[in-house]
Amino acid sequence: MTSFRSWGSRTLFAAVTLVALIGLATVTAVEAADTPRHGGILLAVIGADPPSLDAHQESTFATLQLVAPLYSTLLQTDPYSYPKIIGDAATEWKISPDALTYTFKIRPGIKFHDGSLLTAADVKATYDKLLFPPAGTRSIRKNSYSAVTSVEAPDASTVVFKLKHPSASLLENLASPWNVIYPKKYLDKDPNYFMKHVVGSGPFKFKSYTPGSTFEGERNPDYFIKDRPYLNGYKFFISTETSVRAAAIRSGRAYIEFRDIPNAEVEAIKKTLGDKVAVQQTPMTGQWGIAINNTVKPFSDERVRKALTLGLDRYTAGRVLFPLASLRDVGGLLRPGTEFAMPEAELQRLPGFGKDMEKNRAEAKKLLAEAGYPNGLKVVLKNRNVKLPYQDFAVFAIQEWRKIGVEAEHRPLETAAWFADGRDTGNFELIIGPTVEASDDPDMFLRRYTTGDAQNWGRFSDPVVDDLFSRQSRALDHGERKKAILQLQKTVLEHAYYMPGLWWSRNVVHWAKVKNYVAPPNHYANQKLQDVWLSED
Amino acid sequence: MGTYLAKRLLLIVPTLLGAAALVFVIMRVIPGDVALLIFGGDAGGHIDPKQLAAMRERLGLDQPLIVQFGTWLWGVLRFDFGTSLWTGRPVIEELLVRLPLSLELALAATMVSVIIAIPFGMLAAIRQDTWIDYAVRVISIGGLAIPSFWVGILCILLLVIFFGWGPPLEFTPPWIDPWANFQMMVWPIITVGYRYAAVTTRMTRSTMLEVLREDYIRTAWAKGLHERAVVIRHALKNSMLPVITLVGTEFAFLIGGLVVTETVFTLNGVGRFVVDAVAHRDYPVVQALIFLTAFSFVLVNLLVDLTYAWFDPRIRYR
Repeated sequence: MTSFRSWGSRTLFAAVTLVALIGLATVTAVEAADTPRHGGILLAVIGADPPSLDAHQESTFATLQLVAPLYSTLLQTDPYSYPKIIGDAATEWKISPDALTYTFKIRPGIKFHDGSLLTAADVKATYDKLLFPPAGTRSIRKNSYSAVTSVEAPDASTVVFKLKHPSASLLENLASPWNVIYPKKYLDKDPNYFMKHVVGSGPFKFKSYTPGSTFEGERNPDYFIKDRPYLNGYKFFISTETSVRAAAIRSGRAYIEFRDIPNAEVEAIKKTLGDKVAVQQTPMTGQWGIAINNTVKPFSDERVRKALTLGLDRYTAGRVLFPLASLRDVGGLLRPGTEFAMPEAELQRLPGFGKDMEKNRAEAKKLLAEAGYPNGLKVVLKNRNVKLPYQDFAVFAIQEWRKIGVEAEHRPLETAAWFADGRDTGNFELIIGPTVEASDDPDMFLRRYTTGDAQNWGRFSDPVVDDLFSRQSRALDHGERKKAILQLQKTVLEHAYYMPGLWWSRNVVHWAKVKNYVAPPNHYANQKLQDVWLSED
Repeated sequence: MGTYLAKRLLLIVPTLLGAAALVFVIMRVIPGDVALLIFGGDAGGHIDPKQLAAMRERLGLDQPLIVQFGTWLWGVLRFDFGTSLWTGRPVIEELLVRLPLSLELALAATMVSVIIAIPFGMLAAIRQDTWIDYAVRVISIGGLAIPSFWVGILCILLLVIFFGWGPPLEFTPPWIDPWANFQMMVWPIITVGYRYAAVTTRMTRSTMLEVLREDYIRTAWAKGLHERAVVIRHALKNSMLPVITLVGTEFAFLIGGLVVTETVFTLNGVGRFVVDAVAHRDYPVVQALIFLTAFSFVLVNLLVDLTYAWFDPRIRYR
């Protein structure tokens, strides 16, 4: 009996120990799996070559995704909590009670990759270039800072932005991933220096760039966040073919595509790789629509514009285009479901957003007849020579318009010509013109509908819209701002100055071994990669 | 022969000058302004005319055309093709990055096409209207009808689906890592080689058929010569002249003409470089590339003409 008890106790003890050990091993294993690992090169594919390396002068992901890991910004969107704003080079900031002075404290000890210290003078030089671009340079987003009168650097660690009127969106704009900080001494020599060179203070240092082929960054051992980055480096392979990029992920030649992979390709990748791959599907702060040149006939006639927007069956488009081109959600000028977006019921009362397409088409035909086109009309729809999602969307629109008697000739153009015709010269009747921004901020999205704005491709001018924009931009009261924003959207859509299509939803496909990358709702933010790690090589 | 060679070599100079002048003028009369594109190329807005003028001055575009052309020619004589207006790097550097890849692809694809085309074209001709002939014709018509980019994409997809393997995405020169180079280049070489083998096979077959009906071949048969002697010694050599011309022209074209194949296989070759440069109105790059292409064609034509003499001793140059 004693021996039995003794045997039983020993067995019980052994069993408990075994269970405890298994438990401990499991916990350790889980912890190990979740413990960031240093090393490895993140291999990524990207769908375009950058026109230049200067993020201030460009507006394409092809530039930003490559260079963002090499730079710091003043503020940034929290990688794990969009759209919360956190500091990057700035550690803290204060806004004066009248909201006309913003004071930022710069983190001490940040070093550029050439060894020099990042100071307030560099931040001032960067923002002076952005706000007041010198001759021979351009600044894409300077209009977003029209409230700022000056940027001052009273000492090495303080930057002060002085405003002429309050700006509800200033912090969002200062957190823009495009506003990378350049060292002053290079800007002083040549304001275009960074179109072809890189000297940043980000988690990675520039290693090499072969146009049309690869772009590489290597770990910055002096990065100001201790123990970061985890990766030894990153490397982008440039390929304009979607199927080639998808095949590269399927075969393990690349681990991630940061922009979007169409659903059909995603399914094929999942079928091949199973749980070795993860897909993050996020809505996008981007909408594919059509800019109408309001200055040329017959599009200066509101009835024609309204007919065209009434002829688009957006709800069917969402179902048809989502699997092909990731375009899914019907919405107005701001992303559906967000704070300042137009409520669905209100939206459906506006031209082209009602769900009864027979009624919409009958009204469109009636409007065309009233405008002098009882037998329909022929139009030219210009487009960017990029399949995803530009051309899929255009093909859908063209076959929709046929139902109201509008024959559209599809004319895809090289990127440079598309920008030149659409944005710079207005040499178009209709052109596919998406609105994509780095956040849902209304200032960023709605500025393009104001008179003379660089992104107002339709070249329309409505003092009511201008006034509403100005009011919402300065309004510090949330309710007052929302009211102005809704009224602005309603005005633009009622007059059909611009024709929104569908809001994008993107698939970020990556191997499961790529850890700690959270896809934000756009392909611009969270590209610094300092927290990303690989669980295996 | 020596005089002929010297004359042909001297003729290269005005030919290249003519090509360069033509491209120089065409690039400047077509609509589009590189300064405007630099400002508005991929973003931007309403451009300040002063900034535009400053950019034109910086790029030397404010100079008279003849001065621009003269400056360029003087540079070419010193192997300085200028600086890319778009990338800001010397054109020669940009070219040297891409040329080895394009040359390797062109050479290997031409070799593959010749290795496939000549035996199969010959076989189809001597076995005319048999199943062999039909098979060769079907496969070669397939090569002509199916676009190379589609064959390329199919190649990549089949490799990924059946073997879970894809070709590397970055070019490694053969002298650095021959195995990595082979893994990447073998697929585009096969893809392009198949396309050009199809063209050459059909040419070989038809010229062989023509020669096989000549009197001297009938005489050779009547003499009781062995089939191999009739075909190889008497027919093949004489049927090769048009084939050589075709292969030479194909080779020259392949150096800069494989835009789509290069895109599919992520090859950073001369073909894609040409298209990008044209889209960006990058005059120095376009001029250098047209110059290079013209030079390739002139050189290959000269080599083809010299090869004629070896194949047909009746041809003598004066």
